[in-house]
Amino acid sequence: MSETAARRRRALMRFWRDYRAQRAGLYGAAILAVFVLLALVTPLVTDPSGLDVTKATGPKMAPPSAQFPLGTDESGRSILLMILWGSRVSLLIGFLAALLSMVIGTVTGITAGHFRGWSSAVLMRITDWFLVLPSLVLALVLAAILGGGTSTIILAIGVTSWAATARLIRAQTLAVEARPYVERSRVLGAGHWHVMTRHVLPNVAPLVLANTTLTVAGAIVTESTLAFLGADAGQASWGSMLRGSYDWGAVTSGAWWYVLPPGLCIVAVVLAFTFCGRALEAVLNPRLRGVA
Amino acid sequence: MTRLGGRLAALGLALSLAAFPATAAQAGQARAQAVQEPAEGKRIVRLGAIQAIDSMNPFLAVRVISTSVHRWMYAYLTTPDSKTLQPSPDLAESWQTSDDKLTWTFKIRDTKWSDGTPVTAQDAAWTLNKIMTDDGAKTANGPAVENFESVTASDDRTLVIKTKQPQASMLELPIPIVPKHVWEKVPDVGTYEAEQYPAVGDGPYIAVEHKKNAYVKLKANPAYWRGAPKIDELHVIFYENPEAANVGLKKGDIDWIGRLAGPQFQALAGDPNIVQWNTQGRRASYLQLNPGAATADGEAIGDGHPALKDVKVRQAIHHAIDKKALVDQVQNGLAVPADGSIVPPMYKDFFWQAEGDTRVSFDPARANKILDDAGYKKGADGIRTMPDGDRKLEMRFSIHTEDPIEDKLAQFLTGWLKDIGIQLTTRKLDSNKFTEETGSTALYDIAISGWSVNPDPEEVFATHLCSRRPTAAGEGGGTESFYCNEEYEKLYRQQLAELDRPKRIALMKQMQEKLYTDAPIIAVYYPNNLEGYRKDRITSITPIPEDKGILYGGSGYWPVYSLQAPAGPAPSDDGGAGPFTTAVVATAAGVVVVFGLGLVLMARLRRKGDDDRE
Repeated sequence: MSETAARRRRALMRFWRDYRAQRAGLYGAAILAVFVLLALVTPLVTDPSGLDVTKATGPKMAPPSAQFPLGTDESGRSILLMILWGSRVSLLIGFLAALLSMVIGTVTGITAGHFRGWSSAVLMRITDWFLVLPSLVLALVLAAILGGGTSTIILAIGVTSWAATARLIRAQTLAVEARPYVERSRVLGAGHWHVMTRHVLPNVAPLVLANTTLTVAGAIVTESTLAFLGADAGQASWGSMLRGSYDWGAVTSGAWWYVLPPGLCIVAVVLAFTFCGRALEAVLNPRLRGVA
Repeated sequence: MTRLGGRLAALGLALSLAAFPATAAQAGQARAQAVQEPAEGKRIVRLGAIQAIDSMNPFLAVRVISTSVHRWMYAYLTTPDSKTLQPSPDLAESWQTSDDKLTWTFKIRDTKWSDGTPVTAQDAAWTLNKIMTDDGAKTANGPAVENFESVTASDDRTLVIKTKQPQASMLELPIPIVPKHVWEKVPDVGTYEAEQYPAVGDGPYIAVEHKKNAYVKLKANPAYWRGAPKIDELHVIFYENPEAANVGLKKGDIDWIGRLAGPQFQALAGDPNIVQWNTQGRRASYLQLNPGAATADGEAIGDGHPALKDVKVRQAIHHAIDKKALVDQVQNGLAVPADGSIVPPMYKDFFWQAEGDTRVSFDPARANKILDDAGYKKGADGIRTMPDGDRKLEMRFSIHTEDPIEDKLAQFLTGWLKDIGIQLTTRKLDSNKFTEETGSTALYDIAISGWSVNPDPEEVFATHLCSRRPTAAGEGGGTESFYCNEEYEKLYRQQLAELDRPKRIALMKQMQEKLYTDAPIIAVYYPNNLEGYRKDRITSITPIPEDKGILYGGSGYWPVYSLQAPAGPAPSDDGGAGPFTTAVVATAAGVVVVFGLGLVLMARLRRKGDDDRE
């Protein structure tokens, strides 16, 4: 057992060495760490009652000042407070939606790659169907039908964004299953479940990880877009802040402090996730390994 | 969906025009033609509307824009007086009622249709009989004739209407009288589009052209019995999106725009050519509190929160709402806090205002006390529970998607109700689903609604009658509250038959008080009527009522009839350009304008830089 542990540690060290070589990936990870940390400490250091419009104390659309470092919104709430609390919603939705998408995509991909024949064909046609559907419109319709709420938005993003993951995982599954040792294992009497979980899954896992990281970025953008288009989770998120700034004419009245912070936060987090995802891909994807 | 469209457009700013749906592009082009047409020395006023005509057939049209255009094209039996809004003669010169209040005799004015045929009582009798007998013709104004026994023309000048029950609102019939000799040839009124131009009418204007979703053009009717209007043409240009219409007004594509939302209205400030018209409105915005919804047969329906059946809970919620803050914060001060019920203060005669002990003030402490005394105990999480069980006071607040004002209102309401131990979650629904859930299936706890009230408010009172609740099959009957109260029903029946105006008004005020204290609905504010027009294009316009009234969307034709405008420039040489050329020229002009604007902006920026350097 200790030998396995030692091997795993070695593999981890190797991974870290390779990842460290990816400069952008490091920056991405640093930015993410800051945002996640802020999101975690926000409830400890700030009072959420400042998000309640009836308790807001500031003037309407006031520019940044000592009391409100990022100014106020149309109801006199602090933009900084909304950004901090919004980061929790945006990140949570981003992570959970990506997780959901990853689970659906991985299960579908491995199943379709493992079982050939008609079941694979059916699964792949369903995947194709989700691929060609305009996913934003589908997510919008889903969110509208299911009604508002965080879980709804997660569901809407998750079920519309898994198709590309499934395709990718299926391709990798096919490649893994073609390896001789899988055949050997099968000859030795390994069942479907054993092959899929013991041989295929560990081999596609790195790819899944890299892909999920990229999916989080996509999910955060989708969440912001949905919120901007009116399907929000009912809580302050960066997307709903952008929407608020549009609805209440922040641009025409020159309230840049209302538009820029949420926009820049979205850009920063999405960029960070993309950097990390690309770096992970470069390290873990066998096809890209050694290229970057 | 127009707001969504606007937002999508904003989101896809970088996308090319080619991405727009073809129909929208075509409508846009047609609109460009309409607004770019040379004026040829005529006096033309162009009204922008954020709504397109649903039908030019007055038997079918229900939208405000359509009924307004029909008001301008066809005379009604009566019209609201321009000062008092009381019924005054229009097509009917005078009228009498029999002693049993069941027979009305109207003397019809001796005037002519725009094709020269005389207007007779036969026209009015045919129009009303058509609505009474043909289900296809009932779409727009069916309920208005429900109580009619018979309508006959005893001679060319005399119209006799017999009713089943006395009907006090007889002088407020919202029905345009159409020419019999034109309309009797129509095989099926229920499907007729009425796209024959020039139309035949007897109002101040006659429609001469209509392009669907783009514009309708009306010409002054020289044969109009009050005398022709002082302008030559009135064009109504339809916009999909309020922002676009606003820009159109600023650029001078249109001369006048009504029914603006607060942000658009405020965006007009500072333009020296534009008059901002801000007067009291005809709308009441209110919350609907599900009072234990039931069908018209009295069978429970829907899933409203049981606590709302308790009038004390509804009154406590009323105490928890700071209406003044809502006006300031949600409506940017462009509304009046509601200390009354469904009739806005614009209708001075009918408006009822709570005073003294009946007046419900913003008082969370009192709201908490009412709930405490009624046995709704607060739990550890600050949320109250039902006195006889453990169901928490967790309620939904249904609003429309794509409405920032309702969204903001929801944020405030959630905050205030939290203070009195009621947890509110906002539920955003698209308008069809919203209508279904708050109108027929009753799947709501608290919902937002509103009503634009007519000079005779009987219609809005009727929306709170037991009989207006949906049938057992779930078909909507038009209830606005699922309210059913014996006392209210009695008052309604009394006012129906009360032909003495002051007595009827007193009854209607009692009904408003009943709604106010029973709180199946809580009026929050009366939004102002916000409009804008260009003073270089419209030199004079009289609102209705004349004292601080409405320009567009009010009742009657007074504002458009009173319009005065300077003559446009003389016809230019390219008057013969075809539609395609015009479109190309318009597009090119648009490109040049945008380019030029960019240059001007850059120049200004640079000049600003120079100024700064002083």
